[in-house]
Amino acid sequence: MNRAVPASLIELRDVSKIYSLGEGGVTALKKVNLTIQRGEFVAVWGPSGSGKSTLCNLIGLLDSPSRGTVHLDGQDVTRLPDDHRSELRNHSIGFIFQSFNLIPVLSALENVMLPLQIAKRSGKLSKMALERLAEVGLKDHAAHRPAKLSGGQQQRVAIARALVTDPALVIADEPTANLDSENALRIIDLMRRINHKNGTTFVFSTHDQRLLEQVDRQVLMRDGEIIEDRAPEQMESRRPLTVRL
Amino acid sequence: MMTWIKLALRNLFRNRRRSLFTILAIGLGFAAVNTLGGFTEYIFTNLKEGYIYTQGNGHLSIFKAGFLKEGKLDPTRYLLDEAEVTTIQTVLTHYPEILVVAPQLHISGLLSNGKVSTIFVAAGRVPSAVHTINSRARGMMGRIQLFDGKPLEDDVIYGVGLSKGLAEQLKLGLGSDPVAMAPTVSGQINALDAQVFQLFDSPVEALEDKFMLVPLKFAQNLYDTSSVDRLTVLLRDDGLTEPMRAQLAEDLAAQGLKLDIKTWNELSTFYTKVKQMFDVIFLVTFLIVFTIVVMSVVNTVSMAIMERTREIGTLRALGFKRRGIVGLFATESMLLGVFGSLLGTLLTLLIWFGVVLLEPTWVPPQITRRVPLEIYLVPDYMLYSVLLLIVLSLAAASLPARKAARMQIVGALGHT
Repeated sequence: MNRAVPASLIELRDVSKIYSLGEGGVTALKKVNLTIQRGEFVAVWGPSGSGKSTLCNLIGLLDSPSRGTVHLDGQDVTRLPDDHRSELRNHSIGFIFQSFNLIPVLSALENVMLPLQIAKRSGKLSKMALERLAEVGLKDHAAHRPAKLSGGQQQRVAIARALVTDPALVIADEPTANLDSENALRIIDLMRRINHKNGTTFVFSTHDQRLLEQVDRQVLMRDGEIIEDRAPEQMESRRPLTVRL
Repeated sequence: MMTWIKLALRNLFRNRRRSLFTILAIGLGFAAVNTLGGFTEYIFTNLKEGYIYTQGNGHLSIFKAGFLKEGKLDPTRYLLDEAEVTTIQTVLTHYPEILVVAPQLHISGLLSNGKVSTIFVAAGRVPSAVHTINSRARGMMGRIQLFDGKPLEDDVIYGVGLSKGLAEQLKLGLGSDPVAMAPTVSGQINALDAQVFQLFDSPVEALEDKFMLVPLKFAQNLYDTSSVDRLTVLLRDDGLTEPMRAQLAEDLAAQGLKLDIKTWNELSTFYTKVKQMFDVIFLVTFLIVFTIVVMSVVNTVSMAIMERTREIGTLRALGFKRRGIVGLFATESMLLGVFGSLLGTLLTLLIWFGVVLLEPTWVPPQITRRVPLEIYLVPDYMLYSVLLLIVLSLAAASLPARKAARMQIVGALGHT
């Protein structure tokens, strides 16, 4: 596949994150440096407490680093005001959560429309959302509330919601953790196809071996540090790295 | 906008029971305030109508300066003579807002049935003028006749009215012929024959055994004077009372007259006391309702925020701004206020309709006969209640909603 070399989408420079705990603090990230190019399909993995979720939260502008800088699409977003960060999340970043996090009182279609409505987009929002639902194979379930959908279906709705604003980046926090094997593979395949088709950058936090087998790049973390980062050109095949955790 | 209202509406139905209790609390509070407000309005209106129209006191009373302070000890010194009355009436005729100007002379003396005597106090008035004032009474006071017998007449000056207590004391009935005695303004004793035309309940309980209504001419003849002690002024509209007082004071002072002009509520101490009492009751009720509404809404919104913390995190992650979160919970709270007010309006109308249907009666203070108990519908109160309850609901939600908006997104997403 011939793709132009993408420009850097995410750049973390000497990023540390310290959580206050009582009189002291817990260091979740220690001077992390990471660059992710456009169109990458990246897994951040490692044991619990290694800092992978914290890293994803910082990349997704859900949190701010204690030290260091985060650049998104060349812009330093480290200390942006909350409203500006909200707008950036809405326009440029899609989120997929382990527990799907759909709004229970809204139908599948309304859930997918939500980011467009938050962005105050005009036009036929329901048509745009329906197209996304069709892309994840749930057009016929548009009117269903989340409680009437299976776990796999809910996660597909969440993927449609994450993609509806055509974001450059999708952050997925353990997207397959609550799914059975069949659904997990469907979800992985779906995200992979979207990555190939749209060039959307995916960053996962995961433990899932099945997902790790599919990514282009694996970032292994331990104790708040990146201990191994295999870039696409270093990968011989899409087999997972064998690292003793 | 509709999306967020729809979302807020659906969120309210997530915990139906809790929302229902909050709406009930607001609705009952609304109904309590408006029913009490409607009842006090009925009381105030009838007290006012009773004083101004039924008792014939009008909106304004004009006295010679000092009469109210010193007049009881030396009444003749503070009487308005014919020339002064003519001057005042001339000034007053320039105002189309003034419907009636009725002179009065209040007198006191002894009333005898031929065997025993007792003291009396009497209001000497022009019966036709009083009748004109009476005829403008509205509501309940316009429908009930507060005396037994027949009306007094201008030309039949011996026809008088007695309070029932006074009549009972002297064993007088309708058609009886008592004799009224009093010192004239020059200090001689005078006596006049009278005939009881009517029996009534005294407007002031303390006067029940001594109050009389007599034609002005009767009072003037008994005191042997052509003077009066006050002029009663009826205005076209209650709202003109204060402006007209100020205007008349200016105009009459320009004529070189030293007068006191009092409004009906300054002279009706009973009205003022009752109003003050009901104002306190209303305030206490309002504070109770205020507390219930605020507590209910704060509880509902706080519980909703706690239960939906992860959802708040999700919305924030999707790009919802802090003010959007505040707006969402404010909308939910406002809807609680709107539904509560609608329920309250319905309950108030039901109570009002029930009262209209059942026509209960009661004996209010100062009236010794049963009269219809009413609850007025006061649109102004209802409108203010709706607005106030919505604002209260919004205000009550603002603190927990702001707290929700300031949550750390990561913490909210991890909330279980």
